[in-house]
Amino acid sequence: MNRRKFLTLSAVAALMLPIAALATDYRAEKPDTWKAKTVDEAVKALYGDVTPIESSDVHIKAPKVATGAVPVRIQTNIKAKSVAFFQDVNPESAVGVWSVPEDGIVDYHLKIKLRQSDKPAVLSVIVEGLDGKFYTAHTSVTVAGATCEG
Amino acid sequence: MKNMIIKAKEKEGIVKAKVLIQHKMLTYKQAKKKGVEANFITHIVAKVGEKVVYEFSTSQFLAKNPVIKFKFRGKKGDVLEIAWSDTSGAHVSASKKIK
Repeated sequence: MNRRKFLTLSAVAALMLPIAALATDYRAEKPDTWKAKTVDEAVKALYGDVTPIESSDVHIKAPKVATGAVPVRIQTNIKAKSVAFFQDVNPESAVGVWSVPEDGIVDYHLKIKLRQSDKPAVLSVIVEGLDGKFYTAHTSVTVAGATCEG
Repeated sequence: MKNMIIKAKEKEGIVKAKVLIQHKMLTYKQAKKKGVEANFITHIVAKVGEKVVYEFSTSQFLAKNPVIKFKFRGKKGDVLEIAWSDTSGAHVSASKKIK
């Protein structure tokens, strides 16, 4: 390795380091979560064998009937380490996982694709608290009209 | 970069941020139909300086041209930096001063 190449490499390594040290990429760390076909399997792949507690402190809001992309809002006051979001109509269950930074506010808003199906889609959110407990909340959406075919 | 629109506004110590990313978000199923490779955003990070304020590992089910909104504790004048990467290996970042 010549000197120039070495210098470039170390510069690249130095740039990558802070990101790697601070952030958790759940896709890289828990690849099985994203392939799971059911919510239970996805949760198991992500957090292991846990039984989340139904909590009124976790809020998930979505319209009752939706066409097109479905807007979803997730909120909680619980001090969280991470927040995971699942649904049960698309081919795979996991939608996304947020890792909550220290002192972070959990108030997330996003739009998702849901496949049209006979039964209403169940959206579930699981909050991994800093106290080591898991909290969950659910809501359901009836998808009227195709929303980008999951 | 033109493909990201960021809005960030501070009020009483809390910054509300809204980010629009232009991305096709092709799922495996859609991509198969079109005969192309699936391509979707997998990871979004927002930072102020060195501090991570938002981090989201995503799947294919985010809507096309995803809009995300979030809040964090911050102050006016700081620079919010958003970076995302997708399955094709693209890394894009953009920054915006908090108003």
